[in-house]
Amino acid sequence: MSQLDHIRNFSIIAHIDHGKSTLSDRFIQVCGGLSDREMQAQVLDSMDIERERGITIKAQSVTLDYKARNGEVYQLNFIDTPGHVDFSYEVSRSLSACEGALLVVDAAQGVEAQSVANCYTAIEQGLEVRPVLNKMDLPQADPDKVAQEIEEIIGLDATDAVRCSAKSGLNIEDVLEDLVANIPPPEGDPDAPLQALIIDSWFDSYLGVVSLIRVKNGSIKKGDKIRMKSTGRDHLVDGIGIFTPKMTPTGELGTGEVGYMVGSIKDIHGAPVGDTIVSAKFPDVDALPGFQKVKPQVYAGLFPVSSDDFEAFRDALEKLSLNDASLFYEPENSDALGFGFRCGFLGMLHMEIIQERLEREYDLDLITTAPTVIYEVVNKKGEVLMVDNPSKLPDPGVIDEMREPIAECNILVPQEYLGNVITLCIEKRGVQVDMQYTGTQVALKYEIPLAEVVMDFFDRLKSASRGFASLDYNFTRFQEAPLVRLDVLVNGERVDALAVIMHRDNVRRRGASLTEKMKELIPRQMFDVAIQAAMGNQVVARTTVKALRKNVTAKCYGGDVSRKKKLLQKQKEGKKRMKQIGSVEIPQSAFLAVLKVDD
Amino acid sequence: MLHLPPLSLYIHVPWCIRKCPYCDFNSHQAEGDLPEREYIRALLADLDEDLRWVQGREIHSIFFGGGTPSLLSARAYEALFKGLKQRLTFAKDIEITLEANPGTFEAEKFAAYRKLGINRLSIGIQSFQPEHLQKLGRVHDREQALRAIKLAKKAGFDNFNLDLMHGLPGQTVEQALDDLQQALAFKPTHLSWYQLTIEPNTEFYKRPPQLPEDDALWDIQEAGLALLAEHGFDHYEISAHCQPGKASKHNLNYWQFGDYLGIGAGAHGKITLADANVIYRTQKTRLPRDYLNPDKTFLTGKQTIEPEDIGLECLMNGLRLREGMLVDDFEYRTGLTLEAVAEPVAKAQQLGLLNVDKRIYPTEKGQQYLNELLALFLTE
Repeated sequence: MSQLDHIRNFSIIAHIDHGKSTLSDRFIQVCGGLSDREMQAQVLDSMDIERERGITIKAQSVTLDYKARNGEVYQLNFIDTPGHVDFSYEVSRSLSACEGALLVVDAAQGVEAQSVANCYTAIEQGLEVRPVLNKMDLPQADPDKVAQEIEEIIGLDATDAVRCSAKSGLNIEDVLEDLVANIPPPEGDPDAPLQALIIDSWFDSYLGVVSLIRVKNGSIKKGDKIRMKSTGRDHLVDGIGIFTPKMTPTGELGTGEVGYMVGSIKDIHGAPVGDTIVSAKFPDVDALPGFQKVKPQVYAGLFPVSSDDFEAFRDALEKLSLNDASLFYEPENSDALGFGFRCGFLGMLHMEIIQERLEREYDLDLITTAPTVIYEVVNKKGEVLMVDNPSKLPDPGVIDEMREPIAECNILVPQEYLGNVITLCIEKRGVQVDMQYTGTQVALKYEIPLAEVVMDFFDRLKSASRGFASLDYNFTRFQEAPLVRLDVLVNGERVDALAVIMHRDNVRRRGASLTEKMKELIPRQMFDVAIQAAMGNQVVARTTVKALRKNVTAKCYGGDVSRKKKLLQKQKEGKKRMKQIGSVEIPQSAFLAVLKVDD
Repeated sequence: MLHLPPLSLYIHVPWCIRKCPYCDFNSHQAEGDLPEREYIRALLADLDEDLRWVQGREIHSIFFGGGTPSLLSARAYEALFKGLKQRLTFAKDIEITLEANPGTFEAEKFAAYRKLGINRLSIGIQSFQPEHLQKLGRVHDREQALRAIKLAKKAGFDNFNLDLMHGLPGQTVEQALDDLQQALAFKPTHLSWYQLTIEPNTEFYKRPPQLPEDDALWDIQEAGLALLAEHGFDHYEISAHCQPGKASKHNLNYWQFGDYLGIGAGAHGKITLADANVIYRTQKTRLPRDYLNPDKTFLTGKQTIEPEDIGLECLMNGLRLREGMLVDDFEYRTGLTLEAVAEPVAKAQQLGLLNVDKRIYPTEKGQQYLNELLALFLTE
């Protein structure tokens, strides 16, 4: 256990590819947290998906012992944060366990919008933010200009920001020295009764629920009896320790420290994220301010391909939602797809990741319907309904008014791409609110319908600016708009799971491109398949998938029987992944066709 | 109750002058002189081990496949036939087919083949268009193809098949029809007209050629079938067409779930043991050098067809035939009653893909959508 003044708890705020993971790997290396053999690139991103995509989704922590130049050893608790626009909620959670944060900025690219937003969150939460200019090894690094930009956009003094390169290892110790000198140690009373915050919880099939905790006051030891403030339930502490980044038992966590706790909690709701842990002996301790529950921005139906998987699917969602409070789900029944869940996500990436985790970690085959935002519908009686599912939209006849969510978008873009970005914003029905020239970048503020933002805006923005523009957005309000539902009919049958809500002006164009796209995705069958897009009873577009004229059958004599059989089997497997709508087989991809439609 | 079906013999010759990029058969480029004598000796030793599976039956047909069986000399075949006749009883009307590739044709050799009792040739023409022959990596050119057919006829082969492919890279309907016309001019008794498909483990699989679009393929197919029908050809199997009564006995036996011994490198066999109530599939060692190595066994695989697969395996081939097979044959040769596949049969009938009377056979629609039809017989 370290003295309070020798502990530093910090996060790193950085844009996705500004070098956070490389920098944290360097920290671990400098502090000897892992042997060279164990030093796998980007150790902290532990989920397969995280490593594959090179992004951080969940908070992780690592405790490091740093021997400073003054000869003292400091305990550094680094709490990793996600960098993608979808996961700002996770960021503020990680920050609440820290006294300071490093703002890591690519010295060649400059500040990016998400970092600005996260930086404000950190400052609001009272954290000391230390700018760090990374990627000094790049020839195009321009630290003076970027330092100026940090001052202009964020208002942080960056004149003496450490200039380093995580890649080459330049000045890494200077970053740690700066951190130790300027980020304040935690405050707290080691002799007070226990008060600890659950930063994150996840389910481990061997250990049960594992929680990442920050001790605010007192201490927590193996064998202690603790109480969860929210449930009032008592648990015995089975294991306690730190991540080095390996899970390392220490038997105790003291005031100001960050580490894990295993408490023989089998019920996954037993240790909710944001909850306060107190001692069962001294339970009359205030609950710490928890986390504000974030609202999902995007909703989609998720359905198991095989109805036998429904129970397994429910269990999986329950387990995932334990450490992903932003994941919302409720049962949904679709005529076309059967029983499933309507799920709410923070954004498209979040949705993709959840779907991938469900398929990979829980071995489920799922069909996802086209994502939608939530709409406010006022009916003739003056009642306001929230609609997160196009097929649940009331009959147009009883609707008085429809309102769509509007997002305030903060975009930072280098001047040369300004024109492209403005064109994109207009195309997405955006309204300019503000424009500021700063350093080398322009700060744009637009109000854009959320539906347009969550679909492909981020990707389009990136390609319109060669990857340089950055985006942060927040929901601001609902606003009246002429919205309609576009239905898709397959051989005359309305497919509820294919309906989408959109702006009236887009109906014809999108209807046409949607039916075309569906035509590409639905394989030819033994009969013609008619695909229609309709608004109410009015068909706005139609195409036909012509009947397959014949199967291609390779020649086959005595020898190739088993291969031929495998081929048939593979074909059948492929069919299993399709959904039968009437007599038509529709592949999973068709349900997401609306996303692939180019305007 | 299983009955012993007719027995055929398949003999594999695993060498080619060069491997074609679409070919997924067990063929190997011949290096220097072929070890003919050793191979014939090995074939007979291989056969000796299989004799236990003959169970008193006479041999209904023999097929020399490859590779390029016409690479072997008449002397080699003479020795082989001598050995075969010592070990097996040939049926009186036995069909003996040899696969031959243009480029290996010599008048004397083929006349000698005919004298040995080989009474049917299957000639791998594939196309008469120089550009397509080249794309298919064939070793022969158009002139050699034409010469080969003439020579075969002259050598006394009045019963012969021509192998032709369609759906070739860049092929037009006119070119496909022209290939057929040129073949028809020779009045073959049998035409195998099959679509080029890209199979795993081939050169084309690694570097796929640009094939005609689906609609173009169908136009080719329709025009070709019409032309063949006009010339009196019976479209009796997916890609097999024959003059009346000239269907390939040997292939019919495959398709109707008959038995066959397979000897030679990589040869497959199928054997019924009625007493043990079991059906085996067998494989022989693939590489010629292993096959010729006395320290290695010929037989490398022998699997029992699982009871739940027998129905599918039988129909997978049987329903390739326009006339399918006799329900009696289905029952005798699988040991099942038709009742065992009642569910998929009913479903197939309901979809209009299958007919059952004395025979079980695909409807016209079932022939068109054979894969959909067969998929119904797959068990989970």
